[in-house]
Amino acid sequence: MAVLVFDDTGNRRFETGVKKGVLYPLNTGNGLYDTGFAWNGLTEIKEKPAGAGSNKQYADNIAYLNLLSAETFGGEISAFTYPDEFGQCDGTAEPASGVTVGQQSRATFGLSYRTEIGNDVSSDLGYKLHLVYGALASPSEKDYSTINDSPNAVAFTWAFDCTGASSTNFGSTSLLTIDSTKVDATALGDLEDFLYGTSGTNPSLPPPDSVLALFTGSITAITLTPPTFDGAHTITIPSETGVTYYVDGVVHTAGTQLLTTGQSKVVSATPNAGYVFNKPVVTSWLYTFVS
Amino acid sequence: MGTRLEFQTLLEGLGNGVTVYFQPPPDVQMVYPAIVYNRDFLTNHFADNIPYAGMLRYQVTLIDANPDSPLHPLLMAMPMMRFVRHYTSANLNHDIYDVYF
Repeated sequence: MAVLVFDDTGNRRFETGVKKGVLYPLNTGNGLYDTGFAWNGLTEIKEKPAGAGSNKQYADNIAYLNLLSAETFGGEISAFTYPDEFGQCDGTAEPASGVTVGQQSRATFGLSYRTEIGNDVSSDLGYKLHLVYGALASPSEKDYSTINDSPNAVAFTWAFDCTGASSTNFGSTSLLTIDSTKVDATALGDLEDFLYGTSGTNPSLPPPDSVLALFTGSITAITLTPPTFDGAHTITIPSETGVTYYVDGVVHTAGTQLLTTGQSKVVSATPNAGYVFNKPVVTSWLYTFVS
Repeated sequence: MGTRLEFQTLLEGLGNGVTVYFQPPPDVQMVYPAIVYNRDFLTNHFADNIPYAGMLRYQVTLIDANPDSPLHPLLMAMPMMRFVRHYTSANLNHDIYDVYF
């Protein structure tokens, strides 16, 4: 029989810090979080799950069973600044560069951030990646105050609630957490290539199924076939298993796409769940009509 | 946050015949009125697990034989300036300030 040991060397783990925040506005054209923006100046992120309220049912003069309400997820982001692209998520429109209009509709966004794991032996034991889906920010206060004899920076805080994203085996979820001390390093590297981008790919927040497939399923590495362009006005989208192609953000099946005079189109590709692209890889192409 | 040389220029720009000294050695023969300043403190704001932004605080000492030195209100008008205390020594008035720059 095993005897429990408490606080032995190497097992005094703790978590600390927050950094590498990335904002992924939801692309309403294709339902993907296909572009990420660095969120500098993060000071705090609070995870606030809610719901799952107890609802006891009585029978036979006892608490016979306990039904729980649905669980929801939300949180708070605190930072000294925010990426310009967060404006659309915070109810502002930008009709011209540098001009913002408040009280507009709010865009849904995803978020990733990293927290550190340490123990009594190493303060750099590993880290956790937190992936948030379907977040919607609430209006928040901004407290501007006079400059005085103590330097202060305005601390912004936004509360958000999540509707989550669907997952085949787990229903809707708003939060995935990946622990670098426990998962496969190659799969983690592939995920970070998605989250932070590479020289040929934009940062993106993969859907929950794609993330889970990296760590729980078998991954097929494929070499991405780029579209072809006749140099004038015809783009040909190839047919390739495990790849979804988009033209200007809209899913496009294999076939041709015509450009009219003066027109440009962006073709992009993302791997489906269970697939990754061999590297190096370029996943978006700009084509312009040539007369 | 400005540089130390920018702060020096700002102090020299106060005029009224002031001479500005940065962390002078003890054997310097000062000319009055004088402003002596030294690096005092650094305030850090932390974010992203690093010192994200910081401001240096300088301790500034105004030394003038004139107790109503015209430099005093000019120093007090600077942003992020705080008057700390006053004393006299060797028939010279010393006013000490903390300022972030």
